[in-house]
Parts: sequence; structure tokens; C-alpha cells
Amino acid sequence: MTGPRTTFHVGDGVVARVAAEAATGVPGVVALRTDLAGTLLGLAGAVLGTTRAPVVAARVDGTQAEVSIDVVTRLGFNCRDLARAVQREVSAAVAQYTGLETLVRVTVVDVLLDGAAPQRAASTQSPQVPPPGAR
Amino acid sequence: MAVSPHDGRGRVAQDDAGAHLPAQGDVVEPLACGRDAATVWDHAEAGTLDAHERECPHCGAAVADARGLEAMVSRLAAQPLVPPPTVVDRVVGAVLAELRPRDLLVLDSPYGPAALDATAAAAVLRGVVDAMDGMRARSCRISRPAGDAGRPVPPAEVSMTVTARFGIELASATARVRQMVLAAGEQALGVPVTRVDIEVVDVFDLPQPSSPAGREGR
Repeated sequence: MTGPRTTFHVGDGVVARVAAEAATGVPGVVALRTDLAGTLLGLAGAVLGTTRAPVVAARVDGTQAEVSIDVVTRLGFNCRDLARAVQREVSAAVAQYTGLETLVRVTVVDVLLDGAAPQRAASTQSPQVPPPGAR
Repeated sequence: MAVSPHDGRGRVAQDDAGAHLPAQGDVVEPLACGRDAATVWDHAEAGTLDAHERECPHCGAAVADARGLEAMVSRLAAQPLVPPPTVVDRVVGAVLAELRPRDLLVLDSPYGPAALDATAAAAVLRGVVDAMDGMRARSCRISRPAGDAGRPVPPAEVSMTVTARFGIELASATARVRQMVLAAGEQALGVPVTRVDIEVVDVFDLPQPSSPAGREGR
């Protein structure tokens, strides 16, 4: 006898959470940025001790998922390579957790320039801006 | 004590509300006993509950509401408010992101759509040029024309205005800036740059203690 028919559906929130985790772990990603409403929700959640609001927009459609991520990086990380790395990592993480095929849309919304940029850049293997005066 | 909660237009009729008659047009539901809850709250706060308000279960519930809210509010108010350290940054960033028109540069990626904020890219190029000896970037604009579907996106174009330190050779300065922008575009942004328009709009001179001639304008 076959068992009862079971369907399995992964919610948007799951994909969003997994994607946010994976994207945050990519070297060079300083922060994920969300829109104003998401920021205020996140702050309210932090103050009230509730769960974080998702900072990633995710949509599941059948066996396909679509994820939009806004990331902030800092000078010294190649934006193109960073975007590719985020896409790879997020897509792999979502596939591993949920089995969904994922289209990852990455926007680098900001690049931090000053502060800790030099020593952070020195510790990475990504291509770097030649220091001024080196030529 | 006949109370008709609503007449045809939703107006509340009250026979003994005293000072708390609602303004014309306001719709206020009275308690089941006919009292206005606001009056009861005021009395509870002032400690002037009358005999009815002490006995009536409806008024008693309203008084409990008032006490409960008071306790909750004062408890929350007494808690020290500790904002996360980056609260201002996060709100300001979100507001700016909301206000700013989003110009995006396409980033080439085999894994899916990727883009870079043009304002951030311009800021990177400005910062890189600023760090050069004898050069200051003033404005910078970078744009990348949208490609046709299925064709590779054409490279970006940069236009920039700079100021140079007095005494710098301008011909070599622009060549340096050009090289710097091309290199930074490729290495820091990952955006190929095909065209750099550089306009030197001004010269500046740093105060030099050894040459008094350079200080006359100050």
C-alpha cells in the first residue's frame, strides 16, 4: 500500500533566511541592506526581542526560487567577483537546504571607503586597487 | 437612565456624561452601563470614583484597563532605551537608499543578474583619485549603457572633474587619472571602462612653509 500523498512546499521566509545567512558569510560582505520598511522592522524586532525581519526578498514559485539581495561591501573587494561569490554561495545554500533551483539577483548598493579598508584589503586575496603612489 | 447608544446617524446620546460630552460628530461607544469610559479613566486617575463607578462591573473593568495601561507604560518608560550601535547608520542608510534614484551598473556574471549602484561606484573612483598625489576629484559620473538582450553589455563610460595641485603637469596628470580610473574600474569595481572624460577645472596650492610666494593669496 502506498502511504498518504504528501506535498512539500518551502516557504518564502525559509529561502529568505537561508539566503541571508549564506550571503552574510561571504567574505567582503559587510552588511545586507533592506528597504526602509525592512530596516525599521528589523530595528523594532531587535528592540522588542522578536525574530529578525527578513533582509532578503525571496519568492518561491514551484521548484524555482528567486532571491534579491542588496549587499554592502568595502573597498578592496572586487564588486563583480563579490557579486558572483554571493550568487554562488546563496544558490548552493538554498539548493542544499531546500532543493530549490534559485535565481539570485545581487545588487551592490554601497562600497565603504574609509576606516578599516586598508588592513582588511591586505588580508584578502582578491584583486586590489593599486595603492596610490606605487607607480 | 435610558440610553440610546446610537441614533440614526451614529451620534451617541448621553444623559449624564458631564464634562466629557463628545464633540459634535465624534462617535463614542459608552460602556454598557451608559458611562463614558474616558470619564471613568479620568476619575480613576484622579482618585475620584463615585459610588456607581466603584460598584459597577463595567466601570470596574474600565478602571482595571486604566491601571493596566499605566503599569505597562511606566514599566516600558522605566526600561533604559539602548539602541543598537548602528541604529542611526541603518536608518539613515535606508532613508537615503529610498530617496536616491537607483542608477545601476550591470556587473557581468554568469550566475545571474548582478548590479552595482552607480553612486557607490562613482564614490569609489572619486576616493581612488583623491588618494593620488596632487589630485583631487570633484565630481564623477559613471554610466554603463544597457546592452541588447543576448549581447554582452558594452563597457562603462566615466566622466570626471578634478582639481590639480599647482605645479603638477596637467598632461601627465590626466594620463595618471585616466590610468587610475581604468585600473580601479577593472580591479575594484569589476566594471570595464572604455572611456574616461577628465576635466581639470581648477588648481589648488598647498601652503608651503619654504616658499612664501605661494602664501600670498591666503
